Amino acid sequence: MITRHKPSLARALATLALAVAPCALVQAAVIPPGTVLSARQEMVRNNGSEPESLDPAYIESVPAGEIDRDLFEGLTSTDHHSNVVPGVAESWMQVDPTTWVFKLRKNATWSNGTPVTAEDFVYSWRRFLDPKTAAKIATTYAVYLANGMEVVNGKKPVTALGVRAIDAQTLEVRTAGPVPFLPAVVSVAQYGPQPKAVVEKFGKDWTKPGNIVSNGAYVLKDWQVNSKVVVEKNPGYWDAANVQLTRVTFLCVEDGNADLKLYQSGEEDYLYQLPPGSYNAIKAQYPKEVRIGPLLGLRFYALNNEDPLLKDLRVRKALSMVIDRNILSEKVTADGQAPLYGLAVKGLGSIQQTRYDWADWPMDKRVAEARKLLADAGVKPGTKLKFTYNNSDYHKKMAIFAASEWKTKLGLDTEMDSLEFKVLIRKRHDGDFQVARHGWVATFNDATLFLALIQCGSEVNDQRSCNRKADELIVQGNAATDPAKREALLTQAARIAMDDYPIIPLLQYSVPRLIKPWVGGYDEANGMDRYRSKDFYIIKH
Amino acid sequence: MSATLPVDAAPAGRSPWRDARVRFMRHRAAVASVFILALIALACVFGPMLLPNAFDSVDWNLMSAPPTRAGWHLFGTDELGRDLLVRTLIGGRISLLVGVLATLVSVTIGVVWGAVAGFAGGRVDSAMMRIVDMAYAVPYLLIAILVVTVFGRDILLVVAAIAAFSWLDMARVVRGQTLSIKSREFVEAARAIGVPTWRIIFQHVVPNLMGVVVIYTSIVVPGVILSESVLSFLGLGVQEPMTSWGVLIHDGAAVMGATPWMILFPAAALSITLYCANFIGDGLRDALDPKDR
Amino acid sequence: MWAYVVRRLLVTIPTVLAVVTLCYVLLHLTPGGPFDAERKVSDAVLANLQAKYHLDLPLWKQYLYYLRDLLHGDLGASFRYADWSVNDLVARALPVSLAIGGTAMAVAAVLGVALGIVAALRQNSAVDIGVMLVANIGSVLPSFVLGPVLVLAFAILLPLLPSGGWDDFAPRYMILPIALLTLINVSTIGRIMRGSLIEVLSSNFIRTARAKGLPMRIVVMRHALRPALLPVVSIIGPLAISSITSAIVTESWFSIPGLGKLIVNGASDRDYTLVLGLVVLVTVMAVLLNLLVDLAYAWLDPKIRY
Repeated sequence: MITRHKPSLARALATLALAVAPCALVQAAVIPPGTVLSARQEMVRNNGSEPESLDPAYIESVPAGEIDRDLFEGLTSTDHHSNVVPGVAESWMQVDPTTWVFKLRKNATWSNGTPVTAEDFVYSWRRFLDPKTAAKIATTYAVYLANGMEVVNGKKPVTALGVRAIDAQTLEVRTAGPVPFLPAVVSVAQYGPQPKAVVEKFGKDWTKPGNIVSNGAYVLKDWQVNSKVVVEKNPGYWDAANVQLTRVTFLCVEDGNADLKLYQSGEEDYLYQLPPGSYNAIKAQYPKEVRIGPLLGLRFYALNNEDPLLKDLRVRKALSMVIDRNILSEKVTADGQAPLYGLAVKGLGSIQQTRYDWADWPMDKRVAEARKLLADAGVKPGTKLKFTYNNSDYHKKMAIFAASEWKTKLGLDTEMDSLEFKVLIRKRHDGDFQVARHGWVATFNDATLFLALIQCGSEVNDQRSCNRKADELIVQGNAATDPAKREALLTQAARIAMDDYPIIPLLQYSVPRLIKPWVGGYDEANGMDRYRSKDFYIIKH
Repeated sequence: MSATLPVDAAPAGRSPWRDARVRFMRHRAAVASVFILALIALACVFGPMLLPNAFDSVDWNLMSAPPTRAGWHLFGTDELGRDLLVRTLIGGRISLLVGVLATLVSVTIGVVWGAVAGFAGGRVDSAMMRIVDMAYAVPYLLIAILVVTVFGRDILLVVAAIAAFSWLDMARVVRGQTLSIKSREFVEAARAIGVPTWRIIFQHVVPNLMGVVVIYTSIVVPGVILSESVLSFLGLGVQEPMTSWGVLIHDGAAVMGATPWMILFPAAALSITLYCANFIGDGLRDALDPKDR
Repeated sequence: MWAYVVRRLLVTIPTVLAVVTLCYVLLHLTPGGPFDAERKVSDAVLANLQAKYHLDLPLWKQYLYYLRDLLHGDLGASFRYADWSVNDLVARALPVSLAIGGTAMAVAAVLGVALGIVAALRQNSAVDIGVMLVANIGSVLPSFVLGPVLVLAFAILLPLLPSGGWDDFAPRYMILPIALLTLINVSTIGRIMRGSLIEVLSSNFIRTARAKGLPMRIVVMRHALRPALLPVVSIIGPLAISSITSAIVTESWFSIPGLGKLIVNGASDRDYTLVLGLVVLVTVMAVLLNLLVDLAYAWLDPKIRY
């Protein structure tokens, strides 16, 4: 999943716990006392790519989600510290393990004046998960709601979905099994409300400027495909008093170097991501404007557990042991990514990181052990290994590094197969690979998202690995009501699963960016990398 | 009694090839280019065999190093610590090979297609040129992806994929020229005395086309070499660790600001080669011009 | 001659049909489809997606549906840009590409012809070599090198122009992309012009004109230029098409919302309708442009008859 989150450490665990009463969590831009704001509160921000849609039911990518979270506010939201904060719902309660009740605020309105009611959410969620809507990402989120999967698969009608409006301001949500992190789930853009009357009136064109009606901090002003999306402050928004930016322009530049040039010539205030390999040079050039922080994402290589060469655990272990992740992190990628020796990334909710015992051995010892494993498995030097990755300079570098490690340390010949992205994912899904490049980023902060990678039969388990004991522990963990117990069980599950070496974990993603010094509100510790425009403000400069 | 007058030996005939060579030599840049190009080709073929560094040996301690005499890293190293001098030469092999082969194929197809279409005129011309129009509209990328995915990756396939789209322009140019040539007096004359059509095309029309063809060929060459780099970047051309000038330049362009030598040397190699090709093309055109006596 | 023009225009229809059919088949043969995503799509959703886009029907039926819509001027819905129809996308991107590519072509044509004339008139001299050296910059350096150099020079070191972006045809965003495309095209045009003019200048009727004592300027402009332009005109058609529809490097580097981006993204996302729609557009443009070029031939060389 290429969605992005950053960890908010222990705070995330606390806020994702059971009954959450609304704390005095700040809703919008936290402006340090004494900051002088600029008279002109406008920002130009590169969003990384052209959104595939602005309809909450159809969005899949992170960039589209970022724009939609400005336009449509869901029951909950996440702020710039990636904390879950109240959105349209001002409070919520978990009345039993699988039932939650959300209380909506009375002053939440659409930009055309009509109030936002619980019925809006019922309509929107049903529409999102209705198979007739054909939302590709519906399955990912349906799994949390009661009857969600049945509805998506067409086995039950949409009215069976576990969401019900008790009255205009009260929404009852029933989940399929205990979902302790439900407030985080419903903060995603896909669970945002949709204006029924507008959708029905305009059909496919309802998201065009002029037709669209939104309930978020911003309204859509202009949308030029492949050029920019412009949003302006929504005066009717319930928290408008705390929204500083009056106008935000989202650019869709994909090329890192083009992005950098726009930043350097002053055409934008916020660079999406530094071009690969440039971090050190840019850090030297713009020391105060470079921001970097860990992302809740895992870079790894998927190993086809059913492949004749790789089905022996010893071979998989050997391949993983010899890769020097320190060099990978410091020299090859050189952009602040931390080496990983386990499934969980730092800051991921409800799980502790695990680490292989050999991670601290000197490399010579690791290589010797790996060679022994290969010999025991009957793999001779000169054996060919096929490595599949999608063409991009970044992945190419990492791939060449891995191939060189396997060659020099184990004598294996790696055949490099660089493919177009769509072809790569097809091959991965179909199991047509030996070693394939893969990456996984969290959409919201919970361990189950990563555990899905190694669960038996999971649709994102491309490597076809299976460890029944780990699966059992995951089920137990999700049923646990005590967060500490849950964490322990999930950690144990990850450890057991990873001892089978289904994948080769490499690095934790980082987000190196450039932000102009007059933009306030950015938090490098935001492991989810989701920012609402209402959290930013422009300092006088 | 008759004194025999001395009979002069028949005057030595002037071979048109000798004339051509003389005319070529007059184009100074072209002559220089031949030497330079030969030097580059020799370096690319034999250089890697003589240099100590391998083109695919990574050195994690020497990444992105500037040019230095130590260790024969005269062009510096790339981001993975591989020697750029050897990589530039190895890359040259691929670029030159693809350039020559793809150009030959596309020029041959283009000239024949264009000459036949222009000369035949009427419906045949129309049909042939409509096919060219159609070929223009087909997205190049799509074909390239399809070809590689169905037939696997192979340098000859790269050549074929590139040639498949490069012949179109040549055909158009040649057809235009043919239309003009065929209405000239000497062609009418040949027709009048009953010279067969194919002979008219190949003995009269084609030689008069050579000027434009030669120029356009030297325009095709850079296009072909650059197409190869685009294809390689998309994963459809040469596969790692093999490289080509196009790939090296593309990789170097991304880090131009910080480590300029990574783009400087391959770009210089490519530019010099292409300039040489251009000048040779101009020289050949001058040399083969049938009217320049 | 008008009969010729009408005939050519009529032939557009079967040409478009043939190309669309070919591309249609190719698209469906290419591995990977529009719905391939990191996560597998559930069967029920996939079934509905396919029904929505008619993809569950046999290929030939889908093809007929597509043709029927095409005849009504409806290019279909895009897969990649889900909220937009292909008509919308093309209508927005075409003027942008036309403005940039068209202007670049015009400038390159004028400059290229001028440079070619200068070089031809001073054949083999230092001027010739110098002019050709300069003119050829655009053909020996790839656009992904020239682009950054231009930006470095005029947007960063000398902050005169923006380094990219687009604002409703505001001229300052158009200058650098047009400059890049011009540089690339001027070399081709210049070289062909030079070669062609040299040939024409050594022909009999030129010799006659010079023998008559006409000054070189008149000889060139009034007598030599027309026939010499023939190969140049031949190349303008394809160059214009590629400048307008395939300027992908220029468009990515300068972040311009033109056709090149749509084509490349459409192909890599397997957006069937978008690619086919663009193919239709390019075919029609190619046919029209080539018709104009052929008509220009007749004007330049009075002996050419259709």
